[in-house]
Amino acid sequence: MNTTRPSYLDEQIASVKDKGFLAYRTGELPTWCPGCGYFGITDAIYRACLELGLNNEDICAVSGIGCAGRFPVFMNVYGFHTLHGRSVPVASGVKLAREDLTVFAVAGDGDALGIGGGHLPHVARRNIDITLFLFDNSIYGLTKGQSSATTLYGQKTSSHPGGNPDSPVNPVKLALAYGASFVARGFAGEPEGLKHIIKKAIVHKGFSFVHITSPCVTFDKLNFTWKNLKENHSPIDENLHDVKDMEAAMRMAEHERFKLGVFYHDSKRLSYHDNLRELALKGA
Amino acid sequence: MPSNDHYVIIGNGPAGNHAADTLRENDGEARITILSQESVLYYYKHKLTEYIKGKTGEKELTVRPSHVYKDKRIRLRLGQEVERIDPLENRLYLKHMEIMSYTKLIIASGASPRILPSVSNFGKYLALLSSYTDVLNQLPEIRKNKRFLVLGGDLISFKFIRMLKDMGKDVDCLLYADAFWPFNLTTEMADAASESLRKSGVRVLSEDGLKAVKQTDQGFDVMTEKGHGAIYDSIYAFLGMVPNISFVLGSGIDTDRGILVDDHLKTNFDNVYAAGDCAQIYNPDIKSYWLSVGWKNASVQGEVAAMNFLGAGHVINPSPKKILNVEGFTVDTSWWEAFE
Amino acid sequence: MSDMDLVVEICGSAGEGTISAGEILSRFMSEEGYDIMSFDSYPAEIRGFGKCVAHTRVGRGEVLTPGKYSDVLIALNDIHAIGQLPVLKEKGILIYDNKPPKYHLEDQSVVGWLEPGMIPYGIPLTELSIKASGNSKARNMVALGAFSALFGIDKTSFIESVKRRYGKKKQDIIDSNVNSFLEGYTWTLEHVRKIDPFRFDGTGAAVKRDQLIINGNEATAMGALAAGLHLYAGYPITPATKIMEIMSKELPKKGGIFLQTEDEISSIAHVIGAGYAGKRAMTGTSGPGFCLMSEFTGLAVMAEVPAVIVDSQRGGPSTGMPTKHEQSDLNIALNGGSGDCPRVVIAPTQVDECYQAAVLALYIAEKYQTLVILLLDFFLSNSIKNMDHPSPPDPKYLNTHVLPDDGDLPDFKRYKITDNGISPRTIPGKTGGMFFATGLEHDERGKPVYDTKSHTLMTEKRHRKHAGIAAEMIAPHITGCEGAVDIGVVSWGSSAGAAREAVAHATAKGIKAACFSTQFISPFPEQALRDFSKRCKKILVPEMNYSGQFANMIARYMERPMERLNMVTGLPMASEDILKKIEEIA
Repeated sequence: MNTTRPSYLDEQIASVKDKGFLAYRTGELPTWCPGCGYFGITDAIYRACLELGLNNEDICAVSGIGCAGRFPVFMNVYGFHTLHGRSVPVASGVKLAREDLTVFAVAGDGDALGIGGGHLPHVARRNIDITLFLFDNSIYGLTKGQSSATTLYGQKTSSHPGGNPDSPVNPVKLALAYGASFVARGFAGEPEGLKHIIKKAIVHKGFSFVHITSPCVTFDKLNFTWKNLKENHSPIDENLHDVKDMEAAMRMAEHERFKLGVFYHDSKRLSYHDNLRELALKGA
Repeated sequence: MPSNDHYVIIGNGPAGNHAADTLRENDGEARITILSQESVLYYYKHKLTEYIKGKTGEKELTVRPSHVYKDKRIRLRLGQEVERIDPLENRLYLKHMEIMSYTKLIIASGASPRILPSVSNFGKYLALLSSYTDVLNQLPEIRKNKRFLVLGGDLISFKFIRMLKDMGKDVDCLLYADAFWPFNLTTEMADAASESLRKSGVRVLSEDGLKAVKQTDQGFDVMTEKGHGAIYDSIYAFLGMVPNISFVLGSGIDTDRGILVDDHLKTNFDNVYAAGDCAQIYNPDIKSYWLSVGWKNASVQGEVAAMNFLGAGHVINPSPKKILNVEGFTVDTSWWEAFE
Repeated sequence: MSDMDLVVEICGSAGEGTISAGEILSRFMSEEGYDIMSFDSYPAEIRGFGKCVAHTRVGRGEVLTPGKYSDVLIALNDIHAIGQLPVLKEKGILIYDNKPPKYHLEDQSVVGWLEPGMIPYGIPLTELSIKASGNSKARNMVALGAFSALFGIDKTSFIESVKRRYGKKKQDIIDSNVNSFLEGYTWTLEHVRKIDPFRFDGTGAAVKRDQLIINGNEATAMGALAAGLHLYAGYPITPATKIMEIMSKELPKKGGIFLQTEDEISSIAHVIGAGYAGKRAMTGTSGPGFCLMSEFTGLAVMAEVPAVIVDSQRGGPSTGMPTKHEQSDLNIALNGGSGDCPRVVIAPTQVDECYQAAVLALYIAEKYQTLVILLLDFFLSNSIKNMDHPSPPDPKYLNTHVLPDDGDLPDFKRYKITDNGISPRTIPGKTGGMFFATGLEHDERGKPVYDTKSHTLMTEKRHRKHAGIAAEMIAPHITGCEGAVDIGVVSWGSSAGAAREAVAHATAKGIKAACFSTQFISPFPEQALRDFSKRCKKILVPEMNYSGQFANMIARYMERPMERLNMVTGLPMASEDILKKIEEIA
């Protein structure tokens, strides 16, 4: 079989001497729409990896289905594009088998909160040391604009042209309620802040939940637009918010739905592997 | 209208089976149950010796197959012993701890081997053989063993000795002429019997008795009153039969040697009858009770008890006289016949 | 030694030591050189005083089935035992408690329901248990003592066996068991007159046989562990739960990982994640769970990730009959999932075969980078057999990554088109070996493509693996008459034991018959079946499902009419039923 690879980016990447974050990028041309927020998220992830000095081959990026699912195609690591909603348990399987790897689970809002919503509480309570990047554009983009679990009430979508009758979930609140040991929100339009959050999430030993808001420039021209998101988002004041305070995190998640930053971080809790070792010691 | 009657018959011999058949023929509705201590089907007792020799099979030994009971809707409960009867409450207490109710009861529990007081000290060394169960239990031993001592105190013993000789065994016989069952042997009878046995190679010890028995590695070391000493593999005692009525004692049902019944075979309870070897029957002619033995008597009594049980009012007649030849002597009897 | 063939059932309530008595008996018989097969049944509902039956067949030579009818029924509970009388043979033996603490009401005693011809032996189980141990809990041991006395079992050997079983338990527990056994033994010798012909000769052998007494789930788990299983993810479901419980205990000892997941989708997802990451992984489930897992069958095959699923079938469809036997997941095992999705299906026929089947499953999954389904069933999962301690798997089954050559790496083609369909494979951590795995159709490098040619070539590549697997499969097991026969029985899975037994009986009765059974369902030993078919006047396919899933499947290999025997009794296939059918059509 003779398949020709598009050389569009390969050559460009090859031409850069000190590749920097481009070392994490494959030569594949992203299939996302021009202007999509996911470019920014991807860049932030590349840069975080670079700054953490991670080896490409020691990273495993597992995705589900949807626009976000394509992410590993564009990242030069061990990538696994799995099934709709299942990036979290597959990533968990990778991590359980290979503790030495840095494992990312990538999921869209449909992936992580719709079809795969059932896995979230369990990966959180097990505290498996993976990082979930929830690419949330509040719409099913790949199937052309149906309502998702984070679509606003009344928002007009292709599946609800008369307005969405369902109310959205609050992803950060869910993650907190499920007992995730690291919960943060970033915004595709704030790549620098997002990068810092991602770095903390990767370094955190345990399950890290990173909710990343992004516009869908093609199917949502009214609600979660670049403009609206930028106007609404504001950073958490790190001096006022104690990331160890679960109640404060919950209150903020409930009342300040556009705050960016780390909501909650419990660095003392043992990861799943550490728990197994601890229990084995106790048993012995 | 379905009957609520439950007719229970204790005993699965000729009396019990004839009673059950008769009841079913005359009452299509009632529940009928036969209880038997033995866990084998109704069998011909007189064929047991042939069975031991291997000349008769299980099928020929059995009077009828089990489906007959299904067909007749007679429930056959085998291997289940009655422990006691409560005739006031119409209840049977079974040995395996089950309570059973009856509306009418026929006791046809037969007889079991007798141990004479003179040998009771040696009871644990003596083998008894009067039923199919005994045979099944002892068959491997009988076939294996070579040297037999038979305590000859009844007519079955002669048959058993014949069988052993046919099987090529060495047999000595201690003849209990004056305690013979079901009648004492006259000197003539005893002599004739001894002679006949001797002819077939049996050593007969007369007017003698057991003095000592010791169990050794070689077998049973036996010493008689008269000083005869020998070692045997088995000692078989055939010393007659006694009515099998231990479970009736103390129940309020009148007993003597057997269960006392009138000439209608009814006990002192209106709904309890007895028939066959276990019954002691009133004979108005002699104004006394008699025990009967034998297959045919039992069969007839079973039928009569069943008929009376259903209200027929039949009277049992002493059997006509029959002549019987046993080991060279003749017996003239009316109270028993066709012994096996 | 005699040609003993005895089926013993011990029936009691949960908590009466019914199942453990069966296990003690099986273990002893195996040590003494007899072969055993047990198939116990437990209360279907959660707890309480449900009925338990420990069913064991003891024999000489290979015991192929547990036997449909029993020779001996040991009743620890009268009411429950009454329900087992219909399977007691015509001249069967009943051992029962004739001295319970209080009187039974009329007709509530098991002995009352015996059919004429059966033999009851009443033993005061409760009384003797109290005498020997102070309470009535050791009735099971009293009963075993009675059984041993009745059947000529060497009591010293038996006691040694009981002691070995209890091993390090407290001395008073061992004493109470041994004393109760002896009490039953002695009482029975003194008081019971044996009138049945059964007798074990040759117990008390000086050299004890040390064998495993295990069920299919245990053998499967052992095989998987021996084959280097690293991760097991599972969700509780009857009848596969036992595998999960074993893994939970054993895997951590070997440095492996056990995970109880939130559902079966997560189980298979974890297996595929671990497989992708280069570790041997497995999950176990039953039909309803397999339905969920079938979401992932396609991904394993498409992304070429090793995965092993054990499906222990039960009565279906839907939740069906969780504690009943059936062989009705064949269709979904072969076809569950979307698209053209070649997978491997192995259905062991006997408990001991489960061990090797599990080794092979993990080996094939890894080497051929594909999905392997190990199809057990309720009967196989729960039936217990004696087997030799297995020797460790051949090293060739253990490390079977097809690694890339150095020359492959500069332009690594993870999905390289090859003659045998197997492409070189890297696992995360390998420098320069990074690739993208996807459930989308893809080119040799893993890049999603939807063109006609790529899909055709890749589909063919995935199917080509089966030729290699077929060359490594376990050959079909053929028994019975050689040459031309009147009846050829073609069987699969756990029904094969009954089929072999039926054919042996038929042959003994003068019917020319032979039996073909295969553990490999996909790929299938096509040529072997065609060769077998040629020598058979008639073909009979017995299986425990209604629609004849296996018969339908093999119809494509032999264009000829077939006789079928389809049963959905919820019970294991019985040789009696197959024999009856053979006699009907012969």
